[in-house]
Amino acid sequence: MTAGFSGVLQLTDLDDFITPSQECIKPVVVEKIKSVTGSKIKIQDDGSYVAVTEGGQAQKLQRVDISLNDCLACSGCITSAESVLITQQSQEEMLKVFKANEQLKEAGKESELKLIVVSVAVQPVLSLAVRYELEPQDAFRRLSGYFKSVGADIVLDMTLSEDLSLLECENEFMERFRSKSDGSKPHLPMLTSSCPGWVCYAEKTHGSFVLPYISTTKSPQQIQGTLVKQFLPTIQGHHPGKIYHVSVEPCYDKKLEASRSDFHNEAEDIKDVDCVITSVELEQMFKSQDLRLSEIPPADVDFPWLDGLNCSEQISYKGTLVGHQGTGSGGYADHVMASAAQELFGDSNAELKFKVLRNPDMREATLEKDGKVVLRFAIANGFRNIQNLMQKLKRGKCAYDFVEIMACPSGCLNGGAQVRPEEGTQQKELTSTLEKLYSELPLHSPKLNPLVHEIYTNWLGGAGSDKSSANLHTSYHAVEKMSTALNIKW
Amino acid sequence: MTPSTGGPAMENQNPTLYKRAADREITPAELDNNVVDPFDAREIFDLIRNINDPEHPLSLEELNVVEERLCLVNDQQNTIDVTFTPTIPHCSMATLIGLCIRVKLLHALPPRFKVTVKISPGAHVSEAAINKQLADKERVAAALENSHLIKVINECIFAAPPTFSKIIRN
Amino acid sequence: MSSEPQAVPTLKFVQVLKGHRGRAWNVSWHPQGNLLTSCGEDKIIRLWGTEGGAEGKWVEKTTLTDGHERTIREVSWSPCGKYLASSSFDATTAIWDKKSGEYECNATLEGHENEVKSVAWARSGQVLATCSRDKTVWVWEVAEEDEYECAAVLNAHTQDVKKVVWHPNDEILASASYDNTIKMFREDPSDQEWTCVATLASHTSTVWSIAFNKTGTRLASCSDDGTLKIWQVYLPGNQEGISTPDGQPVWKCVSTISGVHTRSVYDVAWCHQTGLIATACGDDIVRIFQETLDSDPNQPTFNLVASSVASHGHTQDVNSVAWHPTVPGLLASASDDGDIRLWQFLDSS
Repeated sequence: MTAGFSGVLQLTDLDDFITPSQECIKPVVVEKIKSVTGSKIKIQDDGSYVAVTEGGQAQKLQRVDISLNDCLACSGCITSAESVLITQQSQEEMLKVFKANEQLKEAGKESELKLIVVSVAVQPVLSLAVRYELEPQDAFRRLSGYFKSVGADIVLDMTLSEDLSLLECENEFMERFRSKSDGSKPHLPMLTSSCPGWVCYAEKTHGSFVLPYISTTKSPQQIQGTLVKQFLPTIQGHHPGKIYHVSVEPCYDKKLEASRSDFHNEAEDIKDVDCVITSVELEQMFKSQDLRLSEIPPADVDFPWLDGLNCSEQISYKGTLVGHQGTGSGGYADHVMASAAQELFGDSNAELKFKVLRNPDMREATLEKDGKVVLRFAIANGFRNIQNLMQKLKRGKCAYDFVEIMACPSGCLNGGAQVRPEEGTQQKELTSTLEKLYSELPLHSPKLNPLVHEIYTNWLGGAGSDKSSANLHTSYHAVEKMSTALNIKW
Repeated sequence: MTPSTGGPAMENQNPTLYKRAADREITPAELDNNVVDPFDAREIFDLIRNINDPEHPLSLEELNVVEERLCLVNDQQNTIDVTFTPTIPHCSMATLIGLCIRVKLLHALPPRFKVTVKISPGAHVSEAAINKQLADKERVAAALENSHLIKVINECIFAAPPTFSKIIRN
Repeated sequence: MSSEPQAVPTLKFVQVLKGHRGRAWNVSWHPQGNLLTSCGEDKIIRLWGTEGGAEGKWVEKTTLTDGHERTIREVSWSPCGKYLASSSFDATTAIWDKKSGEYECNATLEGHENEVKSVAWARSGQVLATCSRDKTVWVWEVAEEDEYECAAVLNAHTQDVKKVVWHPNDEILASASYDNTIKMFREDPSDQEWTCVATLASHTSTVWSIAFNKTGTRLASCSDDGTLKIWQVYLPGNQEGISTPDGQPVWKCVSTISGVHTRSVYDVAWCHQTGLIATACGDDIVRIFQETLDSDPNQPTFNLVASSVASHGHTQDVNSVAWHPTVPGLLASASDDGDIRLWQFLDSS
């Protein structure tokens, strides 16, 4: 179960060898019930625990559940134990919801039906396209066909969310950078926030020191979650609680992100993303059903957004897979740097080339004006480069203005839960194939997406509005080191 | 999974209690400073019987975690082997209890002794792993530099000998 | 006692160096051999040198304090002799140098989650390795003056990593672990990625330490299982016909010395001048092993030829042994009794 997580989590927090019962250090909240004295605890044949009182009465004891959110809030490990992952974020769980909906349909209980929405990120589509030797657009439509065949009502691309994430990130950077001139000391470099493995590591290991540097912009997955649970209901008329939202992602870390309490409305028990399914899990699902993606009939990818906005313009990318300038992790560094060069220094034709430093996962680009470096951007992937960056930051020797950080080497295209290379293929070769496929996708610019402007004007009350920041930004929480000694690992 | 009943989160809420052994009888030879008396099992047992369980206000003796018959001493060979029995086979405190025994003996015995602390065969699901950890002197040394851990260990080791008046049994 | 003392090899006690309070964990010679360095529980690094020439008595020259907040587990000199690295239970590795005239800590390598157990410099002096209870082995590159960058974090081991050593000639890193295995790593020149290229499994408990022979064709390992093992490398196309999958060298255990050590063996040192192997054992004894003259290269025989039992031995566990880099047979040892002892191996000749 561990393989799907990014290396960063596997290194620092993820403990593959424990099960919650054995070594989980999370203190369990126990309901106060009248203490039964003189009782003995016995283990039944089925593994359940039973308290037997002196009078011989048996009382079955409750199991204690540890959720992924508990793991995030704890300074201990992130357990990879199947029992934890399985509770909410598994293919079995997803198929169970699909099936339940199917049964409700058959029983004619329309009012209880859920609207099942599946959002698909670009990286898993490319991964599956390579696995089943399909052209990416074809793979996307067949994936849509698959989800619809098992019960999804709507299948979405994530371009709109990616665009919003890039634009909010850009605005945030401009604001921080500009505040330098008025004498305040903004937290620069600004570090990207779309990789949940990196965010989780930062919260647990570097805590309050590093968190102010991290962009507050939500990741595309979580912006998509907000759109599906907040904006989509205004079009479809469904109550958010009646929507089941699945996100298809390249990494298990995204399951942790979806489990964060920040994205969970506790009062109504609504999560922005209910379940995250990854490329490897989809491959397993196809395998277990004896399916090949190439044999699944294709279906359209939905585009419901237009109905909610009085958008008259043509959306060229509608229903297709597109790529952004830059890395296959979303192109944050490229986008923000190009925008900054233009807006801050009036340089609209700056040739921004990220050159390789110590290793291919550490790259840097600078913008010079009158022989002086005015912007210094970097892309840092993988644990060792994150580690060096953190050390430099701590020693005040980090000269960057902006760093795109991803926990996995080579970024999201090589996400921890992408399909493994086939026998005889090296991971490196597979990654470069995926990078090539990504670069060949139709190039898409967030600023030229008319839908983005419609969303800002018609739904969010303008860029920079309170509603924008409430819906497109989040916050981070340093995890305190646990000092209850009874459970210290030594 | 940890079973939950009422009260504090404790794994074995109602352990079986055992009677404390009578105090050691002191022989005239032992009082004689001119006689070199070798260490014996009872002496080792006396060092560790009053260690408190980390979770209960009870001594390891009262919980039958340590027993005199499971303290083996070879004064000539400078070896001491202590075997202990956790109250339940999945006790998560077993490593900590073993560490307390080890630390107590480390403090109290001359450094010539090679001390081994082990779990009674078959008494714990993670017996081999715990024994290996307790035998690793580097891990033990590092643990003893952990201020949080040493606080708990000291509380267990230096607790006043429990008396029956302290223990309220319904 | 032999009736002809000159006819058998002996380990002659030379001197005891007292100073450490509490357990002494490690001893290490300066590459030129004029300084001996030791460290331990007292968080102090002690530098010892001779008084008046090479034949003089060893005395404490300097102490390095305030570098670490917890036990210092190991000290290691860079091949050029200008830098001293110290690894500590406080999760850091400190780099000391004498640029200002006195030894000062001018860089600290941070990143391990908990106790750093070992630190070692590669022959080039441009790369070093550390390992920790956090199960990882880190490779660091000297980036510029007093700047060290992490080049790799290797998580091949499943438990606490006890020791890292470099191959004497090639940039190959070996590590020993609580997971009972030894692993070897090297950098893939095509993408600068460090990867595990060999796993040496045969010990039945924690492997405490490892040491290469002079040419790097053999490796000695010692373990909590009480054995000393000798491993030999077989390169692709070797005469013996040992298969080498993926064209990678294969390490085979060619000799196991058991029944000699009565407790955990904490350290092993392979003398690059004499070929002698020294071990540090939890039974308080320093032992010297020598390969027999008629030894089969593929099934070598090593005999116990001398030990510290006879006189002036340590009174508690021996934690570390180190052969002098230039004086044949001169050995230093560190013990739980807090003492550093110097020994001279005397051959029968």
